Amino acid sequence: MATVASEASASGSPGTSKLLEVRDLHVEFRTRDGVAKAVNGVDYSVAEGETLAVLGESGSGKSVTAQAIMGILDMPPGKITGGEILFKGRDLLKLKGEERRKTRGAGMAMIFQDALSSLNPVLSVGQQLGEMYVVHQGMSRKDAKAKAIELMDRVRIPAAKERVGQYPHQFSGGMRQRIMIAMAMALEPSLIIADEPTTALDVTVQAQVMDLLAELRRELNMGLILITHDLGVVADVADNIAVMYAGRIVEKAPVHEIYRAPAHPYTRGLLESIPRLDQKGQELYAIKGLPPNLMHIPPGCAFNPRCPMARDVCRTDVPPLYEVAYEGLAAERRSACHFWKETLDASW
Amino acid sequence: MPHGEHISKKQLEAEGESARQLMDKARAEHEFAAHGSAGGREPILQVRGLVKHYPLTQGIVIRKQVGAVKAVDGVDFDLGQGETLGIVGESGCGKSTVAKMLVNLERPTAGEIRYKGEDISKLSGRALKAVRRNIQMVFQDPYTSLNPRMTVGDIIGEPYEIHPEVAPKGSRRQRVQELLDVVGLNPEYINRYPHQFSGGQRQRIGIARGLALRPEIIVADEPVSALDVSVQAQVVNLLDRLQNEFDLSYVFIAHDLSIVRHISDRVGVMYLGRIVEIGSDEEIYEHPTHPYTQALLSAVPVPDPAAREQRERIILSGDVPSPANPPSGCRFRTRCWKARERCALEVPALAVPAEFRYEEGPAAHDSACHFAEEKQVVP
Repeated sequence: MATVASEASASGSPGTSKLLEVRDLHVEFRTRDGVAKAVNGVDYSVAEGETLAVLGESGSGKSVTAQAIMGILDMPPGKITGGEILFKGRDLLKLKGEERRKTRGAGMAMIFQDALSSLNPVLSVGQQLGEMYVVHQGMSRKDAKAKAIELMDRVRIPAAKERVGQYPHQFSGGMRQRIMIAMAMALEPSLIIADEPTTALDVTVQAQVMDLLAELRRELNMGLILITHDLGVVADVADNIAVMYAGRIVEKAPVHEIYRAPAHPYTRGLLESIPRLDQKGQELYAIKGLPPNLMHIPPGCAFNPRCPMARDVCRTDVPPLYEVAYEGLAAERRSACHFWKETLDASW
Repeated sequence: MPHGEHISKKQLEAEGESARQLMDKARAEHEFAAHGSAGGREPILQVRGLVKHYPLTQGIVIRKQVGAVKAVDGVDFDLGQGETLGIVGESGCGKSTVAKMLVNLERPTAGEIRYKGEDISKLSGRALKAVRRNIQMVFQDPYTSLNPRMTVGDIIGEPYEIHPEVAPKGSRRQRVQELLDVVGLNPEYINRYPHQFSGGQRQRIGIARGLALRPEIIVADEPVSALDVSVQAQVVNLLDRLQNEFDLSYVFIAHDLSIVRHISDRVGVMYLGRIVEIGSDEEIYEHPTHPYTQALLSAVPVPDPAAREQRERIILSGDVPSPANPPSGCRFRTRCWKARERCALEVPALAVPAEFRYEEGPAAHDSACHFAEEKQVVP
């Protein structure tokens, strides 16, 4: 891993080179019923070879952030109203169409949740995989096909040579997701964004796919942003974790610490509300209420109506992303809670 | 049950009773010995040899059957009064088809579903309607299972149109409001439409509808899998509370093993149309003896990074075979690391494996494997 000294910024671990930095990103959706504020000031960064998990429920803005990074946000109705997305030091939001397009594929690639609807049903998988080389590298169709077979071998699709001419519907869910991974890996990008890559798969297949993804990431020393709502998947592969709620990051921590000592009441509630395989519990802890409507995000801390610790200040002041300085915990932790210390005291 | 018939024929010769009576009696005795415990409770539902095949046809004008998708192929279980039976399995294993047959939305190709001793799978007309009142269903997707043009009051009250004897017309509105209150929704929401509710609230509406007729059994097919994590816990707790309040028996179908463990008294694991292992939650989760159960459990991510180094993960190769053409013998053998010749020839029976037959303890439970072996996979 290259260790280039980087500017000490609010987010990120010193000593590793930053591949991607998202700074104070804001995204809105203008709809007939009003403006939905999907992303409200997100900061995160990913280093080479790092796996960052972005955890959140539906509507937390985790996928919208990813789409903004990739430059595939639907605009309109979406609109990036502020912030910077630095990829290898360049602000992607300032790039023009063609330049921006060139960052995709070789620079960064995305793996989507639903492989069946992300693949073209009327083109063979070989054509779709080969297209990466034809378009980005001007390779001939014949060479591209050979490359496609190589890719399919690499993601361990059996009998790649025979199956290269088959269509997406002829593959099972797990195999399709492998093809999506192969397509993302094709040009060996330095960053991969995987948006719920295993949510649609069964557990036994999910384990196969996550294993493959982690192995390829190690091999190519890529940065990986893993977007998920599953705390279990995160624990298995991630290095660092960013928890999102109502378009903001509420907590950032190394993965081995967050389970042991959450510093935000939302994270803590999430951890306590999931039933565990290795525990037969009585009643589950349930976070009361519902995630907020993005058109009417509560004033102050967005989590305050559901928070068991909320006090007056939470209803008026938006908490910044505090540095968590607590004895025995890693230095690079952040929590957007006025009472992070009390939360830690209570949970740890 | 060939075994049961065999005994009864012998007895018939000796005693000369009516063949039918004796066969029934012997069968009943045999079954009670085999599956009757239902966790030590009186069984309210007994499922025997349940089969559902969907025909595969060829030709447009002259249709002929060329095969069958064997969605469910011989399932037996008991559900005790007040008990929760969890059924887990991957997609395509037939768990939802079992659910549909239990509530009579699908007719079984063969087999019996006995509700309080009476086979309900062949009922029709008035008799079926009467039974249906007692077995209700909660569906997976709260977005498509509620009619968007009906108010919540109409949705929850609709069962009373079909079974007017449960609530006379004048009292229905009040009954619906009580139900809304029971599932934790504001009774004043009675005139709202489904789109005005969130996913978790909609699932509560679906549950209220399931409760309207005061059923004894609720079949819940993936009731929380469409919900967000923080809302899942609310609905699971609600189901738990309602069970105690109304003495309900649940058949809880899900693919999420952690939730099934949380809610179930007993758990059955399905693979390709059959139950491969069934037992109490402790027996299945802490002392699994079937290799599929072990692989399934080991694949579940545990939200604890400390456990990720300690756990031994069994990663299965390949995919589930097609139910139209399942493997011979044991259906799991194509993905099993223990498979030997015998597995291709003999279908393993769902019974206590020979190795554990004389053992008292959690490993001695029904498991359909020739080479059953206890292995702890959950840390």
